[in-house]
Amino acid sequence: MPLSTASPASVGTLTMRPHRRRRSLVGLVLVAPVLLVVGVFFYVPAALSLYWSFTKYNGNTPPQFVGLKNYAFVLTDPQTLNAFGHTVVFALLSMTVGPLLGLVSALLLNLPIRGRVWFRNAFFLPVVMPLVVAGTIWKMLLADNGLINQLLGVVGLDHQWLTDPGTALYAIIATSVWQGFGFETVVFLSALQSIPFELYEAARCDGANSWHQFWAVTLPALRPTMVFVFVVGVIGAFQAYDQVYVMTQGGPLRSTETIVFLLVERFHELKLGPASAIAYLLVAVLATLSALQLRLGKEKA
Amino acid sequence: MGRRGGRPVAYAVLGIWGAAMVVPWLWPVLTSLKQPSDVFTSVLPPTWTLDAYVRVFSLGSFPRYLANSVIVAATVVALNVLLDTMAAYAFAKLDFPFRNVLFGALLVTMMVPSQVNLIPLYRMMIGLHSAIPFLGADTLSGIILPGAVNVFGIFLMRQYFESIPDSILEAARIDGCSEWTILRRIVFPLATPALATLMVFVLLSTWSDFLWPSIISSSEDSRTLPVGLALLAQRNTVSWPETMAGAVVTAVPMALAFSVLQKRFIEGLTAGSVKDA
Repeated sequence: MPLSTASPASVGTLTMRPHRRRRSLVGLVLVAPVLLVVGVFFYVPAALSLYWSFTKYNGNTPPQFVGLKNYAFVLTDPQTLNAFGHTVVFALLSMTVGPLLGLVSALLLNLPIRGRVWFRNAFFLPVVMPLVVAGTIWKMLLADNGLINQLLGVVGLDHQWLTDPGTALYAIIATSVWQGFGFETVVFLSALQSIPFELYEAARCDGANSWHQFWAVTLPALRPTMVFVFVVGVIGAFQAYDQVYVMTQGGPLRSTETIVFLLVERFHELKLGPASAIAYLLVAVLATLSALQLRLGKEKA
Repeated sequence: MGRRGGRPVAYAVLGIWGAAMVVPWLWPVLTSLKQPSDVFTSVLPPTWTLDAYVRVFSLGSFPRYLANSVIVAATVVALNVLLDTMAAYAFAKLDFPFRNVLFGALLVTMMVPSQVNLIPLYRMMIGLHSAIPFLGADTLSGIILPGAVNVFGIFLMRQYFESIPDSILEAARIDGCSEWTILRRIVFPLATPALATLMVFVLLSTWSDFLWPSIISSSEDSRTLPVGLALLAQRNTVSWPETMAGAVVTAVPMALAFSVLQKRFIEGLTAGSVKDA
């Protein structure tokens, strides 16, 4: 406990006051730069964006207030719904396949075997690689005459992955899962290693085999970690842009356009009203998810 | 049961699994060392060559991109270490008016995706550039300034500072140290592990950042590596070895840093997963 609160109040009043006030000024001075940066580069643009979402604005002539027109347009525009659909598929797949791969890898790496650090690092390496790099290398691996088609060609399964509208989105999702599952692996691994050994011992005394132990001890203990991993995965999926830009530019036939990709497209078309409305729909979705995470997080505690 | 019997199976699964995960980055590295004609014909380069790297560095603007990426990353990390730490210390250990309100206002920003600010921020940077030509749009400052503070970093450092006993700080105050001296002489040295974590995740997210730098930089002089690489990958006239050389150059600095600081990287990236509410 700080000395100031522990010392008797009778001594305090006279000597403490100037001390407190000095400290309070220092505190404000120390947070001032951060508040300035966040105010100027977050709150001001966020407010402008909100305002523009209710206007017709092309960046040159002054914005004209149009009420909810942009939101009405965006929510009925087939192109937005198309992009939103892709984003949902992206989120659903990457939040199931990614964590599953991560969990299996973590369970394997948690076995008492040699070389686990080596394997862990091999899985983790793509995580430290920019998404643009992952997109670029998978664009080559998935090219018509690329490595994957050469291997699949042996069994006649080669395919134009990135130029077929039916597969391009899944190719991009696979790239993203590959880039990110090492993250899920190490998160699960550290969670596995923090499960008290006594729990397994107790389960074994009760006659539980490995399979029972997994269901009764391991999985419940991993629940909070899963919530974390899911939320991080969904947030990442809803912001997907870099991979799409590098691998397909939203094509073929708009089959890989995501929400953020569309936002940038509208920006380039100088349709700043609809672009801002899309941005705020993204905020609504992600804020809901964050709130959900907070609630789920509280439940476990 | 099964622990010993399961091991060969575990090795086999890990081996196949590992190969499936490693080949996708090993193959591009090998490709970058091939001649364009050998790309699809052999696994290992028949003749190992650094031609692709020479071409990327001599014909392209990659030296410039690399320098820009290094300048941006170094400046952003330094700014974050200074500003995030100062604020985190104040929020953790000092009393000042509106402390909780201000901290709440910072936390709110974590729930909002940065893409929301993209368009207004771009226009603000254009404005700044026309007022002060060496700042704002199409300069490195346009990339650096919005990244100068990381709210998650403040959150992380604040949690760490709260674990430093008040009695140490009180003792220093009684000895007549100013808050600035306390921060510099006591808090910074004690916070080294947390600082390393902060530096790692700011470094990684800055180095990898693509959307904002691609929008704010319109000339070669202000492009970072990911932006330059994306341009290279779009051009159909460029050979695969050259594109892969660009990818390797973009990825290697972080891969090297990771191989040296494995533990810090993993801590830095998984920092959010262990939360005590």
